[in-house]
Amino acid sequence: MFGQNLEVQLSSAKTEDTTVVWKSFHDSITLIVLSSEEGTSELRLERLLQMVFGAMVLLVGLEELTNIRNVERLKKELRASYRLIDSFLGDSELIGDLTQCVDCVVPPEGSLLQEALSGFAEAAGTAFVSLVVSGRVVAATESWWRLGMPEAVLLPWLVGSLPPQAARDYPVYLPHGSPTVPHRLLTLTLLPGLELCLLCGPRPPLSQLDAQLLERWWQPLLDPLRACLPLGSRALPAGFPLHTDILGLLLLHLELKRCLFTVEPSGDKEPSSEQRRRLFRSFYTLVTATHFAPEPGQPEEKAEEVVHRAQVPRACYLVLGAEEPGTGWRLVALQLGPRRLLLLLSAQSPTHGLRGLATHTLHALTPLL
Amino acid sequence: MARLPAPGSVIVPDWHETAEGKEYLACILRKNRRRVFGLLERPVLPPPVAIDTASYKIFVSGKSGVGKTALVAKLAGLEVPVVHHETTGIQTTVVFWPAKLQASDRVVMFRFEFWDCGESALKKFDHMLPACQEKTDAFLFLFSFTDRASFEDLPGQLARVAGEAPGVVRLVIGSKFDQYMHTDVPERDLTAFRQAWELPLLRVKSVPGRRLADGRTLDGRAGLADIAHVLNGLAEQLWHQDQVAAGLLPNPPEDPPS
Repeated sequence: MFGQNLEVQLSSAKTEDTTVVWKSFHDSITLIVLSSEEGTSELRLERLLQMVFGAMVLLVGLEELTNIRNVERLKKELRASYRLIDSFLGDSELIGDLTQCVDCVVPPEGSLLQEALSGFAEAAGTAFVSLVVSGRVVAATESWWRLGMPEAVLLPWLVGSLPPQAARDYPVYLPHGSPTVPHRLLTLTLLPGLELCLLCGPRPPLSQLDAQLLERWWQPLLDPLRACLPLGSRALPAGFPLHTDILGLLLLHLELKRCLFTVEPSGDKEPSSEQRRRLFRSFYTLVTATHFAPEPGQPEEKAEEVVHRAQVPRACYLVLGAEEPGTGWRLVALQLGPRRLLLLLSAQSPTHGLRGLATHTLHALTPLL
Repeated sequence: MARLPAPGSVIVPDWHETAEGKEYLACILRKNRRRVFGLLERPVLPPPVAIDTASYKIFVSGKSGVGKTALVAKLAGLEVPVVHHETTGIQTTVVFWPAKLQASDRVVMFRFEFWDCGESALKKFDHMLPACQEKTDAFLFLFSFTDRASFEDLPGQLARVAGEAPGVVRLVIGSKFDQYMHTDVPERDLTAFRQAWELPLLRVKSVPGRRLADGRTLDGRAGLADIAHVLNGLAEQLWHQDQVAAGLLPNPPEDPPS
């Protein structure tokens, strides 16, 4: 605040054990976050603030936040966003808040689902339809995939954070696409945990998406739909071959802005799922901020540089907690074109083979994302 | 307006506690937990049994904070949110309830679709109230025993929400009945209301749901016992109304004013 008077921009501060980051939005709202979490980075906190503001816009609209007529009323309205904001502060199974890529899963029989989705979208009269399981996108129409940030991440995340309901008709403001004019987010729980999401204007009314319509398009696909239920934490279809040393993977497609994230492989081994997620978050931040910066699509880059970079794979790795040789988790990151793969590997995995393993895995995953 | 059915005259009360009733309840319980059904699913009864399903849409109306979402969660056997977050928009919850008809001894599967919407969303967005009112079979008006204003708001609610819908069931439910030490609505006021409006009135306690031995999972069977009277009451009113609409029951003339 002092800095602004002197035209200096201060964006963060650090003490011995706390990091403070703040961001001002539209000259109206300032968000401040303090974190004493070990290994927290500014990148993480900055992206957190972007998500939090996005959540506020999503549920209250930009107009209310920039044109504040009654502060008490705004505070009351913002309570609607508390649950969503809390979910960003806790230990989420999703990682889209940090990576700014939509958490996805790969369904078996994806083309069947895709076809049904398109047909249903036409019947319902909207272009924006997706199938979401536990906050991750299983399949979506073209138009849905083209949603901008942060709503592409916020919408499935919101759906995954709500208590179970058969159907919903929620007004939402899209921070990027439509921050002042609300749309309707309709959700329909086909099976517990699996929801059909539609983004609509004033039509269709919720009652139009009735039992008959659902039966026609989705009852015939009951088995493939059921097969999607365990995908939430697994992300990949059952039986997908992964090296036994792999304890977790995060695959990002930086152009499509989608990611696959799972810490389920060899789930019975150390470290715990929670620890693995934390390791991935720290490693992602390290890789993004330090080793692989900047991400593709930056306007400052010249065309030749982009082409050159796209052809040369880059990699880095890290070994954590290695008190003796043969111990310590291995984290390896590999970038090839628009794809960036991060792997968590067990202590047994030989360090000289990390790059090969990562390359092999990336090639196997490439057809999926 | 049709005469209200006497409680227990249409649906066999406490049937769900009989051996036969418990067998049917097994289709909505699994190991004492309430089953959750997606829209593509429904309760499955053992093969030789085939019963009809009667589906109804019910709109739950009441002041903000009175406990609409909590009531629906209780009826569905779901976790009741601990902190009050006003409902962002419309949400619907499906509850299946097998019940036995007095007249024919037949068991019918009732499918209740509860529509619940936050008060400020209703005011802010024009399409929500009509969407909730459209083709509704019953209005459930909720007030809280600990909130006098919510009780006094009932006539207004009745006019605003159900005013132009004759022949639609209207039921009043008072929540937080367990907090009788702090009740703002004494019995005589309830009696006066009942006499003036001639609407069925039920009471629900708002105590936390009982848990199973693990201390975490909701005890579905115990939860059902707590709200069976509401589901039965609702089924009764709706079934009776259907009969009247179909001309199967005489529609008595209006009572002379007392």
